[in-house]
Amino acid sequence: GPTGARSVPRQEEAQAIDQELFTEYKFSVDQLMELAGLSCATAIAKAYPPGSFTKSLPAVLVVCGPGNNGGDGLVCARHLKMFGYEPTVYYPKRPNKPLFEGLTTQCQKMDIPFLPEFPAEAALIDELYGLVVDAIFGFSFKGAVREPFGSILSTLEHITVPIASIDIPSGWDVEKGKADGLQPDMLISLTAPKKAAMHFTGRYHFLGGRFVPAALQKKYALNLPPYPGTDCVLQLT
Amino acid sequence: PAPLTQAFPLLSLPRKQPTVLVVCGPAQNGAIGLVCARHLRIFDYEPTIFYPKRSPDPLYRDFTTQCEKMDIPFLSYLPTEVQLINDAYNAVVDAVLGAEAELGEGRGPCAGILATLKLVRIPIVSLDVPSGWDVEAGSSSGISPDVLVSLTAPKQCARRFLGRQHFVAGRFVPYDVQKKFELNPPEYPGTECVVPL
Repeated sequence: GPTGARSVPRQEEAQAIDQELFTEYKFSVDQLMELAGLSCATAIAKAYPPGSFTKSLPAVLVVCGPGNNGGDGLVCARHLKMFGYEPTVYYPKRPNKPLFEGLTTQCQKMDIPFLPEFPAEAALIDELYGLVVDAIFGFSFKGAVREPFGSILSTLEHITVPIASIDIPSGWDVEKGKADGLQPDMLISLTAPKKAAMHFTGRYHFLGGRFVPAALQKKYALNLPPYPGTDCVLQLT
Repeated sequence: PAPLTQAFPLLSLPRKQPTVLVVCGPAQNGAIGLVCARHLRIFDYEPTIFYPKRSPDPLYRDFTTQCEKMDIPFLSYLPTEVQLINDAYNAVVDAVLGAEAELGEGRGPCAGILATLKLVRIPIVSLDVPSGWDVEAGSSSGISPDVLVSLTAPKQCARRFLGRQHFVAGRFVPYDVQKKFELNPPEYPGTECVVPL
């Protein structure tokens, strides 16, 4: 690992890094969301290869929230399909923006089903899927959890199949975590791990989003360990 | 950039610095070259870009900004003294002309660049179509790349490719499109986005 202090970005810093990527470097949200979603699918494929599922099909439920974290989830679902998984998406609150409409269309055209309603019980999720991807809330999350996500998170807190959370376990405070909240088995931190990651106790912590230029890493003292070769993910634990 | 890193792994390069020259044409093929250069930089190569005719497309202009902000140098001219290129770089990425190009190698604004590329002795990695080749018939006197990266699916002219390695980068193509156009791609290993043919 790296020597020297590593700055673990607080919520404002994580947002500042994002802003700089968009305004100074002129990355588009599409570009970074695609790379982020691909990282998530790749990390999942490394930790939970299709052959490792105990059910006959490598079925994955991807729960997408109302913002960019949900967008990451849609990209992830599409790549999971290309990697041989059978993803299903639940996407109850869809923003009226071309980016999200496009991502939804891409999934639908690839025969990824969109559930009309969320499975009523945790036991049903355990029966149908081998993994759940939590793409509900990301690092911009603040305040109270609005429905239907409160009920969704309550159900997810009772499933036994593993949960892979994108960037921040949904419902957690972005810095302090949430002791009685979701306990995912995998966390994929995007760009850099946030403070909440210090409260993560699952088996797999991956870093994804291999697009931060060296100058930006230096400016925010991210001190990220090096990615292996040309991999788009780095396993931290 | 994945095929380039597989064909020329960082540690195996002959020059001390992992330098790569990325030559970008004025249209989509050139824009793909810009994206490739950025990822090469992330992978710790030292790309240099030659991009004489910059596209006015806002997306491509943003790709240019991303490269500039990542301290990737842009050459103001391409040396006609080919030995300078041979000495300075380990490989050249040919992102000059793609399948959409209408004018052949001998004509058009890229003729000078292609004439120089024909003479380089270091390996050339061509993106999608060796620049200047007819997309179907190929070319008997055009550039001879060492590596070809077919995008989406190989073009007809790929049959005339005689270089060392041919990769396909098309893992994003949905199954129904693959079927409709009878693409029959090979299996991509694991989570790789490219596969050698």
